[in-house]
Amino acid sequence: MPTTVTAERTVTEMSSTIAHPNTAGHTHGESAGAKSRPYGLIAEFDTPGALMHAAERVKSEGFRYWDACTPFPVHGLDKAMGIKRTILPVIVFFAGAGGTTAAFVLQAFTNSTNWSTHAPDWLPMLDVTGYPFLISGKPLLSLPAFIPVMFELTILFAALTTVFGMFLMNGLPQLYHPLFASRRFARVTNDRFFIVVEARDPKFLRGKTEAFLKSLNPIAVEAIDE
Amino acid sequence: MSHSHSTSGHVQRLTPLDKTGLGDIGASLQLGLGILGAGCLALGLLIGLNGWMGVSEDFFWRSYLVSFCFVLAISLGGLFFVFVQHLTRAGWSVVVRRPAELLASNLRWIWALWIIPFGWLWFRGKAGLLWPWADPATMKNNNIAEWHLIEKKIGYFSLFGLFDGDFFWARAIAYFAIWAFLAHVFLNRSLRLGATGDRNNIAFMQKFAAPAAILFALSVTFASFDWIMSLSPAWFSTMFGVYFFCGCATAGFAGLILLCVRLQSVGALTHAITTEHYQDMGKLLFAFGMVFWAYIGFSQYMLIWYANVPEETTWFLARQVGGWGPFSLVLLFGHFIIPFIGFISRWPKRMPLVLSLGAIWMLAFAWLDLYWLIMPRIPHDLTQFERFSEAFAEFSDTSTHFFTPINFILLAGMVGLFGFCTLRSCRAYPLVCERDPRLGESLHFENM
Repeated sequence: MPTTVTAERTVTEMSSTIAHPNTAGHTHGESAGAKSRPYGLIAEFDTPGALMHAAERVKSEGFRYWDACTPFPVHGLDKAMGIKRTILPVIVFFAGAGGTTAAFVLQAFTNSTNWSTHAPDWLPMLDVTGYPFLISGKPLLSLPAFIPVMFELTILFAALTTVFGMFLMNGLPQLYHPLFASRRFARVTNDRFFIVVEARDPKFLRGKTEAFLKSLNPIAVEAIDE
Repeated sequence: MSHSHSTSGHVQRLTPLDKTGLGDIGASLQLGLGILGAGCLALGLLIGLNGWMGVSEDFFWRSYLVSFCFVLAISLGGLFFVFVQHLTRAGWSVVVRRPAELLASNLRWIWALWIIPFGWLWFRGKAGLLWPWADPATMKNNNIAEWHLIEKKIGYFSLFGLFDGDFFWARAIAYFAIWAFLAHVFLNRSLRLGATGDRNNIAFMQKFAAPAAILFALSVTFASFDWIMSLSPAWFSTMFGVYFFCGCATAGFAGLILLCVRLQSVGALTHAITTEHYQDMGKLLFAFGMVFWAYIGFSQYMLIWYANVPEETTWFLARQVGGWGPFSLVLLFGHFIIPFIGFISRWPKRMPLVLSLGAIWMLAFAWLDLYWLIMPRIPHDLTQFERFSEAFAEFSDTSTHFFTPINFILLAGMVGLFGFCTLRSCRAYPLVCERDPRLGESLHFENM
């Protein structure tokens, strides 16, 4: 296998050959022997500044399914790409408020009532009964005593929602990605900056998009197959 | 937009005002604040000491202590901000560090507002009006049971046998000396760095920040024990120092935000302080002023509520009877719940106008919090009741006297003097930490 590849056609072929063994187990509703569909095009840049300018051009071109990949966070890139802010904080807020409420209801029910709830017949073990128990002469429904638990559940719900919400919204965990097949793309964790335009983008046309990416003065443009 | 922290790149973002201080700008405002401050303090003293408008002398001294602690808290908050930036070697905050240093530099003169009036109070032998332990004879007469508790710790106040409260005074002088020294060192070294570019100054400040933090923590804790907690000498809470520190952080961060907005409105630091810096200052105000305050306040309350020991619970009971009940709830909602919901989002912290309204709100509640700490007196017979409801009924007509004009006259006096001195510093000193190695980083700072 060649270690350095300059001709773009060779790169395309190479990434296809690497991609094949990996995608064999990957279900796309295709038969194993069929030719891979194109994933998209990547353009390589060697400075964050060049990437930023390129990102602005790609954005104004009206692409929707595209991304920028960098070795480290680049300030202002979100703006250049026109990425909207995530709604995760709003979800986390309501999860936290839910934690507060859940903790209060749980404690008020179990510590200060003797209500029973009856589970369906097929779940006899789940009958739950409140157990009013007098502690140091406080009223049964004592908010100050409940607050530490309310606080903890707020944090717990909010933290779990943050982590798993982030995972879900990013489509993680993702064990395989077509870009991993490109040797060129490996330098994204070191010193190179990439723009990826996906083939599923409605504006994606193999030849036209490639010409557009080349007009951004990248070091190289490479086609990636799924 | 790569991060070129070259020294030439950020010079254009500083206006001439940033390098020289405000100069003639603000001279008339400074004069106005000085007259307001001195006039209101004089008027307050006249009213309080002559008993005009039905103000008793002990009420006057408590009210004076509230407003003194308020401006002290703003200055201490500024000092806390400064040394924390050095302790963490923060880059983002360099453009707002000088305003914080200038707030803290008020600690170089603020001792006068404590030592002169309270020295005079002691000289007249009337210290017992404010701090009951300073008049043991009256204490013994009024409440012998409480005296037995206080007798055991009287050595904490009077140790050397010179006069009642000699050790208390020695500590007070030590606190003021520590604060003035710390504020002076940080401002002075920062100015020298700007003047000469000698980076040994920043290295020194970073090293000095660690012992400064320890001195600050101990002095603030014990000062709050001495001056505020000992107003009810039988009561004790080890949480109290942290609670007062939290008030300092609230007032300091809110004051810093307002000072930055004010400086920008007269054309200083206009291109240096950006939305990003306001957002971070807003985060600090949110974290310390709202969340941490509630955390500490509740931590102190819950242990006492649960243990239910009379000499501890009376302090809170005195803050639940009569007008103090609604007052405590106003504090809970105004200091925590309302601003917490208001400032939890990103956008209000990124709008200087909204943020400065929040800062004014938090300053108001920092003052209210001090009022709540200092003004209530625990009635001597509060422990005789068997039930909460009986005590509650007996003292249902207790008034907070919050709207008594003397409270606001003294507040205006203190804030006027404080504003006068802060503005004086802003006119005399450069408003940006020039030649700080992280100035470029701070000018280009962006939140993720």
